Amino acid sequence: MAAHALADVEWDACVLEPLRRPELEAEVRRRFGTLPTSVPYLASVPWVVRSMTDTSLFGAPPLSIPTELAELIGLVVSQDNSCRYCFGITRMMMRVYGMSEKQIGKLEQNFLDAEIDPRSKAALDFSRRLSRAAPRVQSSDVLALVAAGFTREEILEIAFFAVQSVYMNRLMTVSAIPFGPAERLGNSRMIRWVAPLMRRRMNQLIRRARERSGALEAPAAPVPWGFVARAFRGTTAARKLHETLAGAFESSVLGARAKGLIFAVVARGLDCSRSEREAGELLHANGFDDGRIETVLTHLGSPDLDELEAELVPFARGTIRGRPVQLQQRTGALVARFGSERTVEAIAIAALANAVCRLGAVTELE
Amino acid sequence: MSAALGLLLAALAVGFALLWLRAQRSTGRARTRLAAASAELERLEHAFARFAPMELVERVIASGVPTSGERKEVTVLFADLVAFTPLSQSLDPSALVRVLNGYFERMSRAITAHQGHISTLIGDGILALFGALESNPWQTNDAVAAALAMRRELAAYNDELAASGLPKLALGVGVHRGTGIAGLVGSSELMQFTVVGNVVSVAARVQALTREHGVDVLVTAAAKQALDPRFQLRALPPAALKGIAEPVATFALLD
Repeated sequence: MAAHALADVEWDACVLEPLRRPELEAEVRRRFGTLPTSVPYLASVPWVVRSMTDTSLFGAPPLSIPTELAELIGLVVSQDNSCRYCFGITRMMMRVYGMSEKQIGKLEQNFLDAEIDPRSKAALDFSRRLSRAAPRVQSSDVLALVAAGFTREEILEIAFFAVQSVYMNRLMTVSAIPFGPAERLGNSRMIRWVAPLMRRRMNQLIRRARERSGALEAPAAPVPWGFVARAFRGTTAARKLHETLAGAFESSVLGARAKGLIFAVVARGLDCSRSEREAGELLHANGFDDGRIETVLTHLGSPDLDELEAELVPFARGTIRGRPVQLQQRTGALVARFGSERTVEAIAIAALANAVCRLGAVTELE
Repeated sequence: MSAALGLLLAALAVGFALLWLRAQRSTGRARTRLAAASAELERLEHAFARFAPMELVERVIASGVPTSGERKEVTVLFADLVAFTPLSQSLDPSALVRVLNGYFERMSRAITAHQGHISTLIGDGILALFGALESNPWQTNDAVAAALAMRRELAAYNDELAASGLPKLALGVGVHRGTGIAGLVGSSELMQFTVVGNVVSVAARVQALTREHGVDVLVTAAAKQALDPRFQLRALPPAALKGIAEPVATFALLD
């Protein structure tokens, strides 16, 4: 029954070249306890694969909210973003954590009528608003969480897991990662029998991640959008956000200017002024003045852009609110012109921009 | 005596068991119907999100139709078929419906592919909105790109019509940008999310002006101001529009 919730969502074939990297795969297995089927498709850019483990429950585990709530957030945001891959995975996780097929089905079919406690409902409602960003979250949305009894750290973790889903949903959707194995796992009847073992293993991995989490603040080294990571002090997300941003901006597959442009477009589309200023600073440092930035952002193009940038700017815009199949067709065109490696990094930077700009909007409310 | 009592108790037990089984079956059927209805509601909710903002759809489901409106900066695209009345009189009804549905299908594809949504179909006319469902800083570029896509779609459709021995269609499009009131408008029996105000009237009248100027797509000065200069436009002499004091300057959209 549950597969029906996204059964109508069109999904193109993945055009990214799968790549085997044994060392990277071993690293992922250590963290996840398994190798997700998406890894080979994204392995051409190692920081992208690391970001998947780093920002997951097994890299940045929640300290204040229950793990089940973090998973529930993943489920509703993935459904909202029509990500068939993430939806299958989170369905499986929910079942491992003891939610019945019937309860999950009810939640998928009608969130408004689902039998969940008011506190969780408030958290899920906020997560969907943050993900949709139409309009972007307001102070009143945060105050609704405060009224439901959530602390500052809990609110930060709710926001983090909502945008972690925004990030993963775009990564999987725009890449058109085959969803078959994930969907089969989510629907498998076998889960009921192996759930206790899987739950034990996952709890063990999460416990280890908590022990490893170290200081609950972002490192002092400057990194673009470091203000977002710093705002998450008191949670395991602070350091992992910082590391993911550092990995993204240290990578040389795409130039800094291309990355700045992608972030600037997403920030403009989501109406996030703080992130747009940050993108502006990055672009200034790479030879773009205010006038040229404004031309690009007003019309999503400019004669000043090189061939790749001229494609990436409208591509980035599409990732803000596009339908999966439309995004996947654009991805196919990018791979054909610029190859898998640059396309994977472009997808990941756009996904990261969508996540970080949404978080940036939350930090503006503080 | 005790045997009779035993029989009576057994009969009662069987009776209760049968009733319980029937109730269980009936509950099961009701549950299945409820699950199907819930699934349908979820599908409808997502389908409605193509016509109204998702938050608004949820508010309607949770607490009824809100009566409030919101002032919004939008770009309106108004499209109409040229000389459709004589065409409708010359075609038989089933051919006419087929031609019209094929036209709407293609125009709808061009509009939604450029982040627009169709608010209303008025006869053969289309009222499409850009930036109404969610804020969109690129709404005017999207609307004009949609107009170009509509032109291309219509050319391809005309080839198909000609191959079937049917008459070709001609299109008039007006694009205008301004502020309107967005909200759910209508009666309790028919309600739609739309934008009302001068911005819609101007787009409709500019569309009508395409006949006078002999062009297919006209853009107002307000829309041009927000438009990417890479779109090629040709200035036309200002013209008086019904209900608007000053003559309105318009620009023809080139290829």
